[in-house]
This record gives sequence, structure tokens and C-alpha cells, in this order.
Amino acid sequence: MTNKYYEFFCPVKVIAGKAALEHIPYELTGLAAKRPMIITDKGVRAAGLLDPVIAACEESGLEIVSIYDDVPPDSSTTVVRDIAAVYRKEKCDSIIAVGGGSAIDTGKAVNILVSEGGDDIARYTGAGVLKHPLKPFFVVPTTAGTGSEVTSVAVITDEKKGVKLPFTSSFLLPNAAIIDPRMTLTLPPHITAATGMDALTHAVEAFTCMAKNPLSDAYATAAIKKISQSLLAVMDNPKDQDGRLELAQASTMAGIAFSNSMVGLVHSLGHATGAICHLPHGLCMSLYLPYVLEFNLESIRESLGELLLYLEGPEVYSATPASRRAEASISAIRKLRDALHKRCELPRTLKETGKVLETQLEAIARQALDDGSIMFNPREVTLEDALSVLRRAWA
Amino acid sequence: MLLKRLQPMMFQARRNYVELMFQVMGRALQAISDVDEPTREEVRALPEGFLFEMQVMPNGPKLIVEHTGDGKLHFHGDTAPRPVDLSIQFKHMAHAFLVLSFQEKTSVAFANDRMLVDGDVSYAVRMTRVLNRLESFILPKLVAQRAVKEYPADIHLPEKLMSSARIYLKVATQFVETVRA
Ligand SMILES: [Fe+2]
Repeated sequence: MTNKYYEFFCPVKVIAGKAALEHIPYELTGLAAKRPMIITDKGVRAAGLLDPVIAACEESGLEIVSIYDDVPPDSSTTVVRDIAAVYRKEKCDSIIAVGGGSAIDTGKAVNILVSEGGDDIARYTGAGVLKHPLKPFFVVPTTAGTGSEVTSVAVITDEKKGVKLPFTSSFLLPNAAIIDPRMTLTLPPHITAATGMDALTHAVEAFTCMAKNPLSDAYATAAIKKISQSLLAVMDNPKDQDGRLELAQASTMAGIAFSNSMVGLVHSLGHATGAICHLPHGLCMSLYLPYVLEFNLESIRESLGELLLYLEGPEVYSATPASRRAEASISAIRKLRDALHKRCELPRTLKETGKVLETQLEAIARQALDDGSIMFNPREVTLEDALSVLRRAWA
Repeated sequence: MLLKRLQPMMFQARRNYVELMFQVMGRALQAISDVDEPTREEVRALPEGFLFEMQVMPNGPKLIVEHTGDGKLHFHGDTAPRPVDLSIQFKHMAHAFLVLSFQEKTSVAFANDRMLVDGDVSYAVRMTRVLNRLESFILPKLVAQRAVKEYPADIHLPEKLMSSARIYLKVATQFVETVRA
């Protein structure tokens, strides 16, 4: 018998599909919440995405008591404190976060403050600090990528100290994630592409890194299949509601997979690149995915080979000899990147981004070695290894 | 019946073994950080006075080391002079035993949710690499390959230096044989 052991946890109710938003009032009432606050950003509001949420609530006689729409792309402790103050002043009793990773993380952090008390969110950083359930919390994702609606982590920047504070607790998980195709319908092409590649990377790393387990595997493969089938279709026809819903669901499924099995070197490099060169996270994922898979190849040959079935379908899978499937999976991902580049000029190399200097590679490599996700990469990574992956991703 | 009577003995033996291995590892960490440049390079990134603890939950054996500067580690036994900065905690003695008897890799134990990190994750990542390197030093190569993800290519230390650690280890392996069954 092996030493294999795993844990899998996802208590988030998923409410997905046509007219999903209209379920929010009923779900709130079920938790005895009557005075919800919306936390979102200016982009979401300008795109008119709040309108169907507010309309859905008003029609049921549920008033949205307060709307905070000024969440910055990198949320901070000050923003969290300000929103908590508004929440208390308006006597809100629940939170609806509408947006991408930043709005969702902000919602999680505000929920800690308004549930536990105080103004200093830094007090609650680290694992195992929260011991009680928080206020009713709903998430409406507007990008199909981060998977934050099903992760028990939030990252908030402490501006004064210049550090990122991590918060981890299963109590950060929302009561429900509402996935409605209307929310991603207007995503511009390059964001659709980058966030789609983020979701794909979550699933591929979940399936090939050290903490993979049978349950996370099932979510990961299903997510990969949906992304392979729908991403290019949606790029060609952005108003394709069914395709949009497929991508949004895939993103949530990939989120469930990686929050239970962690990610690896693609994310270590991506986090470092995001911090040093300010490239969007999804783009970083797309840049590094094939090169990291090549680096890990001999440790993950079998699992990566299995993914060919979900990336390319049964015909290609059965026509490819077992010994070539892992390489064929990498080629499939490269092919997808080329197709995205053709459609929206999503860069394929660091050089193509025009925002990274070759002299920055060493700093990126050093920082990547300190990233928590590197612990779960199937191969040990030295500074030299990280640099060689970066050099291959350069041009 | 017999199993029931034997179990407390086994628990005690396992506890003794984990305590002994913490002693071995603590001393070896200090010894390695005196001479091994790659280890010092990793440790230098930790603040001076940084206290690292490995512990078995809830109140089991402990190992505490301090970064005293320039990459050097000092072994404090099982008592910390002040609150620790980073704690890696095994959820149960059984899990500590799996890892410290080199049946489960440290990184796999993390991946398998056997341990918790309390403190800055980037420091935990560094300490895991230091522990991996330590295991490659004090273990015979064959066992080390099971214990760490990859056996480092640049292991060359005066044999004499590590021999004392290996003697501890011999005692330790006897425990494994007694307790493993
Ligand atoms: Fe990601």
C-alpha cells in the first residue's frame, strides 16, 4: 500500500446557467440576509454588469443597501478598512462580490473584518486564525479565470509595509458562487484569452503537480475538456452564450481542482513576473505553461499524456502512441497559444510582451524560488532551472 | 488482544524516535550551516534572529533552530528563547514518523496535508529546501533518494563531519525497524 493520502473540500453552492442571477434574492433570504452590500470595481460598473444583479434583487423586493465600486486592481488594507466602515454605517448584513480576483479577495477580507470586528485586517493573516463562520457571502465572477469564487485564500496588499498579506481559512469560501453567462458576455478578446489560459493552467497544474488526487483530477480533466472545446469558439463568436457559460463553469471547476491540489512552477514564475513586471496573471500563465511542462516532462509523462484526451479529443488521443502523448499534449497547448495569438495578439514569449527586460529574468527567477507554489512542483527547482525555463520563454 | 497490549509500547517507541530524530536534525542543521555554502545561501535570506520550529501537534516533540547571521543556524533543542517566526507542524505523531523515518518525502507530506505552516510561506519554502539538503547529507544516498525530490549533484563534504550524524541515524534506523511493522 502506498502512503498516498489526500483531503478534498468544497462547500460552495454553485448556482450556474441561464437566469442564475435571479436566484440571489432567494439564496440571501435562505440565510436570513436582508441588507446586502455589493463590492465591485469601476470597470464592472461601467460595463453595466451590476444592472442585472440589482434588477434581479429589486424585482424580489430586496434592496441593495450599499454599493462600493472602487476596488483597485491590487486591493489594499486601507480599501478593506474603508469598505468595512461603510458596511457598518449602513447596517449591512451580507456581501455580494461582483468582479474578478481583486473584487472577490476584497470581499473575503471585508467579510473577516465585519464578522470578527476591528479595523486591522493584518491581525487575521496566516492559517487557522479564524474559528467561526463569517457573514453571508456571495460571489458573482465576471472573468472566467481566477477561480477565486471557490478558493479559501485572499491576498491583500499592506501599502505601508509594502508586503502582500495572505489570508487562508475555509471560512473565506462564499456561501454560493453565481455563474451567469451574462456576466462574461462582454469580456474583451484579450481578457477572454488570458483568463481562459489561467483556468487551463489551474487545471493542468492541478493534474500534474504533487498534491493531485482522484477528486481534483475529475474536476481538472472536465475543465480542460470544456476550455479546449469552447475557448476558440468564443474568441470567434464573443456573443456565444453557451460557450461563455462553458468557459465560466470550466474556470470554477479548475478552481475547485487547484484549491484542493495546489499549483506549481507556472504559478511560481507567474507570481514573480506579475510582481516585478506588472504583467496580467493570465498572460503570465500562457507564457510559461508549455516551457514548465517541458521542464517537468520526465516527472509527469504519464499524467500529462492522459491530458491529451481532454485537450484534443478521442480521435487524436487514440491515434497517438502512448509514448508520444505527453509531447502531443504540450504541442496542443502551443497550438492553442498560436491560435490565440492570431486572434488577439496574446503574446507567446516574454519578448513579445514588450514589458519585460532580459536583465530582469534573474530577479524573476530568484523571487519564484520563494513562492509557496514551488513546493508542489513535481521537480525540485534550482535558480539555474528557473532561469533556463525563463530563457526558453524569452523568445 | 496482543495488539492492544503492544500498542502503547509502539506509541512510546514512535515518540522516542521522533524526539531523537529532531535532535539529530537539529545538530546536523547547525553542523551543515557551518560548512555548506548552498545551505548558507538559502538561510541568508532569513532575517537574523529568525526562529524556526518543527513540532508535532498538539504538544509533541519540537525542534527549534535560530538563524544567527550569515547563513548560520543554531540549534536550541526543544525550547525557544522567544516566540517563533515560522512553525511547521505535523498534524499527528504518525505523520511526523512517516516523514522522519524517510518513508514520505517532506514535499509529499506538505502535498498530502500532513503538515501545516504557520508563518510566511516563502520562508517555509526555503526551510523545506534546507531540510531536503540536510536529508541528502545525513542519509545514505539510496534512502535519501526516497526522502527528497531530487538528490543534489553537488554534495561533497568531509566525510568525517557527517559521520557523527550518521551514528545517530544508525540508532534511529533501529527504531524504525522496531516500530515499522
Ligand atoms: Fe492562476
